[in-house]
Amino acid sequence: MFRVAIEMLMHDRTKYLGLFIGIGFTAFLVTFAMSFFAGFMTRGFALVSENPTATVWVMDRAVNSTEATINMSDASLGLVRGVKGVNYATALYLGDVTARFPNGHFQTFQTIGVDNASLTGAPKPASLLRLPQSIIVDSGGTSGKLQTPIEQKDRWSYDGSHLGVPTRKLQYGDDLLINDKRVVVATVSQTIPRFPPRPLIYTTQSNFKRLIVGEKRYITFIMVRGEKGISPKTLAQNIRKETGLKAITSEAFKKETVLWFLINSEDVGDMLNMVILAMLVGFGVTGVMLYMFTYENIKQYAVLKAMGASNKQLTNMVFTQAFIGVIVGSGIGIGLSALLGQAVASADFPFRMMWFAPFLGFLGVLIVSITAAMISVRPVLKMEPAMVFSGR
Amino acid sequence: MSDVIISCKDIVKTFNSGEAEVKALQGITLDVYEHELLMLVGPSGCGKTTFVSALTALLSFDSGSCKILGKEITTMSDEEKTSFRGENIGFVFQSFNLLPSLTALENIALPLTIAGVKRAKALAQAREMLKAVELEEKADTKPNNLSGGQQQRVAIARALVHAPKIVICDEPTSSLDHKSGQVVMELLKKMTKEKGATMIVVTHDSRVYKYADRMAHMEDGKIIKVEVL
Repeated sequence: MFRVAIEMLMHDRTKYLGLFIGIGFTAFLVTFAMSFFAGFMTRGFALVSENPTATVWVMDRAVNSTEATINMSDASLGLVRGVKGVNYATALYLGDVTARFPNGHFQTFQTIGVDNASLTGAPKPASLLRLPQSIIVDSGGTSGKLQTPIEQKDRWSYDGSHLGVPTRKLQYGDDLLINDKRVVVATVSQTIPRFPPRPLIYTTQSNFKRLIVGEKRYITFIMVRGEKGISPKTLAQNIRKETGLKAITSEAFKKETVLWFLINSEDVGDMLNMVILAMLVGFGVTGVMLYMFTYENIKQYAVLKAMGASNKQLTNMVFTQAFIGVIVGSGIGIGLSALLGQAVASADFPFRMMWFAPFLGFLGVLIVSITAAMISVRPVLKMEPAMVFSGR
Repeated sequence: MSDVIISCKDIVKTFNSGEAEVKALQGITLDVYEHELLMLVGPSGCGKTTFVSALTALLSFDSGSCKILGKEITTMSDEEKTSFRGENIGFVFQSFNLLPSLTALENIALPLTIAGVKRAKALAQAREMLKAVELEEKADTKPNNLSGGQQQRVAIARALVHAPKIVICDEPTSSLDHKSGQVVMELLKKMTKEKGATMIVVTHDSRVYKYADRMAHMEDGKIIKVEVL
């Protein structure tokens, strides 16, 4: 009967293609949306990801993400360095600045200050930051926000702003004003794009303090690596115990950041709502198509029942068809999602297919298809097989 | 006279259509004998199809009793009825009811497939039947590519492949032209005789009455006359 079920399923090309495409579309939607969501979340903890050598992150006890932060006193760095098992500890300084471009245009940047000596946390070639007043700029997932005027006459003109003039992307040697202090672009880096997207400035701690004045506490994070033989978890425990600061492993910090976005970010909430809505539509389409497919073949089931097919055999047939639909459809959907994902990821979109995305895509259509099969098998089992006779 | 193979007593069946009640069967009593070809005849809507649906346990009825091959169908569970039909009854329908997704050969093998016979064996038996209905060359053809007469011959082969004791034919010639109808009836009669089956034919096609051993005339849900030919 397994073969009969398959033959029945594959008989009408339009119907089965419709069914496979319907299921495939749902699997694609779920997988793609989840991967996109994972991509956004990955960008959410980009700061942690781009510092893979740090296995423990230290911060104020109230901080739960890389996104909403409050600074610690400069003394905290010394405290952390004094904890047994710490191999190195280096500070990261975060702040927002508004930079003036030569034509008068302005742009807000997230500024990341790194340790003067080690330059840990700065993108390569970090050594360029040793040049006086130098900064490294990064688009941080934005586009068109690092534009400076092409013409010399439009730069730092005495006759006011030259907005709307032809521009080009910032490059080595370009200068900006931050709090009326001149900075020089050493290079334009390509670090992990941020979520939410924002342009970035990397500079040394001393330059950072020159640009952002009036703060009492500057250190936002301390990145720590333990000595050989000590696990990040143990090291984090030790730091917490001895300094009273919050210390967690980089993996735990990534998870906390994702959780923070899920709870606090309206953007993520809206995005999730849209994803859920799209998934519900997809699920609805899949369920209805499967139901219709079974219902349209009900007379064939009646013939089989009249000829002695048991309810169990008919149920197996309906579920076999649903299961094949799930296998083929989710294969198409997940495959398409992976292919299209590669294309969008190469175009710098936040696509990251983690293990759970195809799994959830498959699980989603499996649950919907099983539910649809359970609903559509009911009329098959309840029908009067007498319908096989003419006039019924 | 042979043994009674089906014995129906006072079968009543009423259909509810909104507020209206339609008394489809009004106390039908009929015996069917082993190896005979009984025709149920009468005008459209007189209850012929309802009656065969009831006596083959395809349709439950309101009251009365019906024994087939010594078993009372009113006391059988749904699963027992299904299994009983699978073992003992073959069907030939007016609209053939072949599965369009299967080839002629696979359609014929269906009753054996349902019974759990291994595919190779079922197909071998089906091929024998296909030979018997002279459609060997159409083994791999799908029903849509067969003529009406050919489809009905496949349906006959399917009805008989598992050697049922009873064959029910519902208007087997109605969808066919005269010549094809005669061929189908000849074939049905010949094959059921060969297989030793009992055949009940529901028809209002007077051109095939000559094939009957007995005819039960129905009108308004009742049997008004049974004649031996």
